[in-house]
Amino acid sequence: MTMLRIGMRNLWRSKLRLVLVAALIGAPFFLLLVMQSIGDAVQRQTETLKQNVNNTLQLRARGSMGHVNMVGNEDILPQDALAKVKGVDHVAKVEPYLLAMTPTEGHNFAMVVGVDPRDTRRLESHGEAGNPKILFGRDLTDEDRGKRIAIVGQGIAKWAGIRSEDVGRATLTLDLKRTHPVIFALDNPAVTLTVVGIYASGYVFGDMQIFMPLDTFRQAYGVPEGISWLYVRADSADNLPAVERQLRAMLGEVADIISPTTVAEFQSTATAAVQRLANSGIALSAVLMVLVVFFVMLLVVRERAWEIGTLKAIGASDSGIVASFLTEAVLLCAIGALAGALLFALWGGALAQLVFGLGVSPFLPAQYSSLAATLSLTPKFGTTTLAVLIGASVFAALAGSAWGIRQIVRLSPMEAIRHE
Amino acid sequence: MSKNSTANAAALIELRAVSKIYQRGDQVVKALDGIDLSVPERGMAAIVGPSGSGKSSLLHLMGAMDRPSSGEVRVADQLLNTLPESALTAFRCNTVGFVFQSFNLIPNLSALENVMLPMEFAGVAADERKRRAADLLEQVNLSARSSHRPRELSGGEQQRVAIARAQANNPRLILADEPTGNLDSKTGQVIFELLKQIAATRTVLVVTHAESLAGMADRVLHIKDGRLSPETQPGASVDNSLK
Repeated sequence: MTMLRIGMRNLWRSKLRLVLVAALIGAPFFLLLVMQSIGDAVQRQTETLKQNVNNTLQLRARGSMGHVNMVGNEDILPQDALAKVKGVDHVAKVEPYLLAMTPTEGHNFAMVVGVDPRDTRRLESHGEAGNPKILFGRDLTDEDRGKRIAIVGQGIAKWAGIRSEDVGRATLTLDLKRTHPVIFALDNPAVTLTVVGIYASGYVFGDMQIFMPLDTFRQAYGVPEGISWLYVRADSADNLPAVERQLRAMLGEVADIISPTTVAEFQSTATAAVQRLANSGIALSAVLMVLVVFFVMLLVVRERAWEIGTLKAIGASDSGIVASFLTEAVLLCAIGALAGALLFALWGGALAQLVFGLGVSPFLPAQYSSLAATLSLTPKFGTTTLAVLIGASVFAALAGSAWGIRQIVRLSPMEAIRHE
Repeated sequence: MSKNSTANAAALIELRAVSKIYQRGDQVVKALDGIDLSVPERGMAAIVGPSGSGKSSLLHLMGAMDRPSSGEVRVADQLLNTLPESALTAFRCNTVGFVFQSFNLIPNLSALENVMLPMEFAGVAADERKRRAADLLEQVNLSARSSHRPRELSGGEQQRVAIARAQANNPRLILADEPTGNLDSKTGQVIFELLKQIAATRTVLVVTHAESLAGMADRVLHIKDGRLSPETQPGASVDNSLK
């Protein structure tokens, strides 16, 4: 007990050193928390996506992509499919989409999507991304129903020459008679839409979409009824198979039912890459902490060799002396860790964004390069942080003190005399 | 059993043909060269000799702080050569008390806590530790300074705390290595008198340069080049010539 008390008291012997060492240990710990917060944020993002996407099925007309002007893929679901799906047990939400294609230069074509303003703006082939970030202007609202209003991806805006300052006044005209090897002409007049917002999706094709209210789409493309895609969300992942079974029984003749696979893709790319980098950062931080403790303990053991010798000469056991030094090392690390946690609370969010932007984003697959914008990197303290704090402190103290402890055990009580 | 072994049983310290050799690079230094010595229970013996003569090495062997290169070191019926490290730790804790030249008090403990420390190592109960430490400080006239840290005490006071600490576990042997080396002559005299008092109930062995203080001891052992002078070899009577 006394040896532990000696260890605790030794901590305060040089306050200047304590502050310096706490700062040296706090800095890598701060970095460790930042990397952990990035890893956690991406994990949370994945979990959210899992909740939203893993519970969601997509229905399309059987054998068709469901685009109203796509060669060989123009079949859409019957309108009554909507009511039928809503009546299925454990269905939490149903989101109908209408889709068309329009030729563009450079990218061959863009996607035109009719969607209820309250529903998720899903990006074709990356449906999991959902609700892309509005860069300029605003999103669609309930008041836009039936109006010739649209939001466009930044790729479309660039192609159409719409600048950020033009948003709200700029118009985009869709010529429904224009064709493309995969797009056939519709006998409808051109549609002029006022662009009220420009969004960013994080990948090139996602930025080549035009979202307009579902009612506007029906008027513009002359589709009074029918649905291109129907997103069906179950009330839980557990009930998804049951929902799918019921839908297949009810609509299997007319619809293809597509189960989610995109989360797995996201997880195997972005999440795995970020987690790998975050773990590397955590390991680097831990190594830095261990190195700091190593040098500090080496210095302390050298400096107090006479004291260790004296303790041995008056009957202290090696284990007691080691316990006092380990107590000091653990407390030193804990103080450093607290300092790091304090720094993290103050500037962790900002640094996490910076680290993610400079150190993580460049290593991600291209389509996830702007993931930082959608991640919540604000510092969060909870049991995980506490566990990291305690675990890292103990680990750094033990690993960093290992060599010092070896020296302590090897020191002879004769060191007490060398003091003289 | 021979007459000699009976005599050995009465002695607290028995050294037989003890040598200590240090290797410093390519150089071999013979600090002690075939020492034979017998020190009885109780009384004060001074070991005197010039620097590098081997007097401190001799003290360290008797205190189980070091092991001999050859020969036998037997203290309080324990053959130190053969004891494992854990037994040597127990020996240092219970059988011997050290007094150092530079006092070697633990800086961040009070005088009382410093005296209590060896008792903690010996597993003495907390209340008993405190009571005994207070008694020992009273014996060295430092009751009023018991809560002071070493840096708040004078050199003489620190050495008195160290002497109190050396007696903490009621050891049979007190070893003092140049206990007056960092003190003025008047304070040195006080410390020696204190050690002399302690020698009434236990064996006190003091290494010193100060011949005048050594004269206060019951026996003076002269050492030079790692060898004890003939007149102080075992069998010689107590040398009181400097008294």
